[in-house]
Amino acid sequence: MSAPETAEVLARNSDEAAEALISAQGLTKRFADFTAVDGIDFDVRRGEAFGFLGPNGAGKSSTMRMIGCVAPVTAGTLRILGRDPATQGPAIRARLGVVPQQDTLDLELTVRENLYVYGRYFGMSRAALRPKVDELMDFAQLSERANAKVEPLSGGMKRRLTIARSLINDPEILLLDEPTTGLDPQARHVLWDRLYRLKQAGVTLVLTTHYMDEAEQLCDRLVVMDGGRIVAEGSPQELIAAHSTREVAELRFAPGANAAAAERLSAALTGDRERIEALPDRVLLYVADGERAVARSHEIDLFPLSSLVRRSTLEDVFLRLTGRSLVD
Amino acid sequence: MGTEVVAAPPLSARPSAWRVVEYQLVAARRYWRSMVILGVITPLTYVLALGVGLGVVVDNNGRQLGVPYLVFVAPAFLTAAALQIAAADASFPLMAGFKWIRTFHGMVSTPLTPDQVCDGQLLWIAVRLIVNSSLYLAIMAAFGGTQRWWVLLAIPAATLTGMAFASMVAALAAVLENEGNGFNVLFRFVVTPMFLFSGTFYPISQLPDWGRWLAYVSPLWHGTELARGAGIGGLSAAAAIGHIAYLMVWLVSGVLLARWRFRVRLTK
Repeated sequence: MSAPETAEVLARNSDEAAEALISAQGLTKRFADFTAVDGIDFDVRRGEAFGFLGPNGAGKSSTMRMIGCVAPVTAGTLRILGRDPATQGPAIRARLGVVPQQDTLDLELTVRENLYVYGRYFGMSRAALRPKVDELMDFAQLSERANAKVEPLSGGMKRRLTIARSLINDPEILLLDEPTTGLDPQARHVLWDRLYRLKQAGVTLVLTTHYMDEAEQLCDRLVVMDGGRIVAEGSPQELIAAHSTREVAELRFAPGANAAAAERLSAALTGDRERIEALPDRVLLYVADGERAVARSHEIDLFPLSSLVRRSTLEDVFLRLTGRSLVD
Repeated sequence: MGTEVVAAPPLSARPSAWRVVEYQLVAARRYWRSMVILGVITPLTYVLALGVGLGVVVDNNGRQLGVPYLVFVAPAFLTAAALQIAAADASFPLMAGFKWIRTFHGMVSTPLTPDQVCDGQLLWIAVRLIVNSSLYLAIMAAFGGTQRWWVLLAIPAATLTGMAFASMVAALAAVLENEGNGFNVLFRFVVTPMFLFSGTFYPISQLPDWGRWLAYVSPLWHGTELARGAGIGGLSAAAAIGHIAYLMVWLVSGVLLARWRFRVRLTK
């Protein structure tokens, strides 16, 4: 089958599958003696930003490598753009953009050369690549470094180059595995801005992260993974509404005194959805009204060293669902 | 995104392993000078020191070889150089693609398959061997190390020899997980002894039985016989076919093995 035909068939197939660009049922990945992904179901719809949230080792990257048609599926069904990765890997990969967890740039080549060479892997012509490479360097704010080697660039610049590179074939789906891990806060915000623009341009984003702020910023819908399974699914707001309370009061007591304080505070809670989480360094009160909970703590003569009232985040959802925090 | 949006260029064709060769050509713009310098200095050193220097001693002791020592030894050096370059290029640089700079992992997230990545890397080594052997031959000729046009066939002979070995080393590169210590063992206990026991400096008829068997097994001996046969004749068609067949067995099994290990490594 020639390439233009392949592209047409893919386009038609994806129109039919407008509801789900990616669809997985019972998706499983096993290595010799270890199950990384344990029978998960999910659908990714066209134009949405879909996230896999979970700690390291939850099975996110293995899932991404199966979606990227790199690692074979052990069991279950996976369809990407309506196609089976087992038999049509190269045709699917021609329509994907991939941002791996670790950069795979050639550090000896220039920014421009990295983009050019990568485009050639997709079978793109030299003439067509020239304007595309310029456009992407502009997008990644790297035009001034076009002819500089990649080696000395900052981590954030390298990451932006990796993202630019993943867009060389105008992918229908962009896969991002931990896109901002290891970057400083400013570099993360620049990157989020670029990703947000892509989302606005209609690119379907699939990303993994163990940062709840990243998931909240970027994802329309996400699944929470733990131990190879999906433990919850929904929009960030839905997940918070379903699995946490509106507010959280964080009370910090003297070292060693947190557990005992939590014990006494639990008697002071009222609502049936309210609960207490005792962490080594602080006590979290999941309540409807945080200020009132702090006041009640004072009423029973518990005076924390510091207290903070905030709204619930995905971090709290994760703690609630798994009993552990996201970033260890 | 951006100020102007350029439409996606058409995906002109299913990419082939040659795209990987193209990548190496782009990368080689950085280091082709040092490649050429090395490609000139190595033959100069060997041809002058051993061919011309040692050759005077050998030739003064009577021409038992039938030709000047330089003519006898130069095609063998050319072949040995091809094998050493092939082994070097198929070892640490490939390991870097898997482990350190991870470029191969980037390639297989495009339409390229692990088999194509493997083939492309091997093709690139073949290109290098052809260029390097041609350079070697030119320098041999400049110092009187050639006698007839047939010697041009030493280039394909050396390239085949190098590739027969490089494919096996590539398979090893795809297997090694540590810092590549396996390669040090390979160079010290396989590549160097092969150079000494493959009839490079003297006909293997000078060796005891066990030494001759070492040569028979070594792909370098088969390649040396072919290159020397091209340079000075005296090689029967049957023998030539035998040598080519033996090297082809190495090459084909090596490529199959390497592709398999590339698949395993890149689809984890």
